[in-house]
Amino acid sequence: MSEYDLAIIGKGAAAFSAAIKISELTSNQIKIAMIGYGPIGGTCVNVGCVPSKYLIEASKNFEMAKKPLYDGIKADASIDFDKFMESLNGFVSDERKEKYEKVIKNFDNIDLYDGKAKFLDKNTVAVNNDRITAFNFLIATGSKTFIPDIKGLTDYYTSENIWNIRKIPEKLVILGSGEVAIELAYAFSNFGSEVHIFNRSDRILKGFDEDITDNLRKIMENHGIKFHTGVNINEIKSKTLFYGNNSVNFDEIIVATGRIPNIDDLDLNKAGIKFNNRGIIVDKYFKTSNENIYAAGDCVDQELKLETLAGKEGAVSAENIFGSEKTVNIKNVPWVVFCDPNVASVGYTEKELKSMNIKYNIRKIDLKNVVKANILKSNDGIAKVISDENGTIIGVQVLAPNAAEFIIEGVYLIQNKLTYNDIINSSHVFPTVAESIKIAGQSFIRDISKMSCCME
Amino acid sequence: MAKNIELKVYGMTCDDCVAHVTEGLKSAIGVKDVYVSLKDGKATVKADDSVNPKELEKLDVFTKTHYKAQVRSVKDE
Repeated sequence: MSEYDLAIIGKGAAAFSAAIKISELTSNQIKIAMIGYGPIGGTCVNVGCVPSKYLIEASKNFEMAKKPLYDGIKADASIDFDKFMESLNGFVSDERKEKYEKVIKNFDNIDLYDGKAKFLDKNTVAVNNDRITAFNFLIATGSKTFIPDIKGLTDYYTSENIWNIRKIPEKLVILGSGEVAIELAYAFSNFGSEVHIFNRSDRILKGFDEDITDNLRKIMENHGIKFHTGVNINEIKSKTLFYGNNSVNFDEIIVATGRIPNIDDLDLNKAGIKFNNRGIIVDKYFKTSNENIYAAGDCVDQELKLETLAGKEGAVSAENIFGSEKTVNIKNVPWVVFCDPNVASVGYTEKELKSMNIKYNIRKIDLKNVVKANILKSNDGIAKVISDENGTIIGVQVLAPNAAEFIIEGVYLIQNKLTYNDIINSSHVFPTVAESIKIAGQSFIRDISKMSCCME
Repeated sequence: MAKNIELKVYGMTCDDCVAHVTEGLKSAIGVKDVYVSLKDGKATVKADDSVNPKELEKLDVFTKTHYKAQVRSVKDE
């Protein structure tokens, strides 16, 4: 039996963030057990954000090499996909080493346990043959892909194992239409796959407003991606997917129909922790129904599953263990889909405001008004800025190249309760796509078609 | 009635720390006696029944300095 002040179940973003924060708070005097299985670092670095963005950027590079955007430039591109995937996995391994393996070595107060934790009672978990007791617990076990019950769906990739693929599929079916589905569709389409997206609902990226997603869908369709939305799949047989009276054959299939919490093996009832099929139920301070057990990140019942949110929640939980009452305002947390153009959002969407009967003002500009978007030859997007009745910004949504890099402007606006006048009074760099937010801000006070370049 | 409250205290490295933590705990209304152990990283507080043990974690000495504390047990005397 080993005794600890804190046992953290999980070894991903939320777990690390909590472990480091609470070590800082206690001058590294708190004794921590960190328990988890699989490679250290969790979803993000191993099978999530890091490999997917590497894949996306490489695919974009290949697409641009195949089809240069500017007159007069000719190129002839080819790809050794096996070699590329080897480099991707090497990159992931290097990042894991730098951001997690080396980091944990700085903390003598943290012991790592490799295995699955199972609660035996409110203060004890079993890990392999070890028994670990702790006064405090933090559950940060993350999430996994939800696999729908479809007849014949047996041989498939998910975002967890797609990194083992070594051949570009000629025909690729993707089940789902959320962030993971859209990003993988974009990347494999760039690599030359014929991509078919299947989804039961007729919407894609359901968290965003429909003007943004309708626009993105058109852009992706022009790129050759085929959407089959609002359809029910009958069965999958011999690399053929049957739906309605139709069928599509494929070489590979990726399941990306959402993520579910990784909590099945924990035996949460033994510790008096309430949960549902969306995750562990916590109060606004991330405390579970057991007052000495906190939960953070994707395993929590909450609307967003993001690495940055998990990291924030881990740190906040660490502070709250010592009696702080810190909270996380999910409306200040940006989220992005990294297809090109990027889709980025922070704050309220129009549909949320409508459903809550909150009055708002909105200005939306076409990216053709943004010189840098024209230079990049990617001007099919839009930028939306939403204010309350007093002009305070409460939402920003952008469909634009590089939006992931500048949605932080929306975060500062909303977090600091700034107004559209603050946007107008802040000099932006010209030419940048970030200027789209400034122009959307200016459209609150004037007709932008009668406005010269860089006008304040 | 009085009670004995045991707190785990983090961040102490010397006798001056012990003095700071002891003084900080004694500043709370209702606290009668305090014993702090550097070796164990623990504080034992004898307090009136009116004292909410969890409020001791929020004293200035544990929120405005680098020391942190957590109540580990409460026993009636």
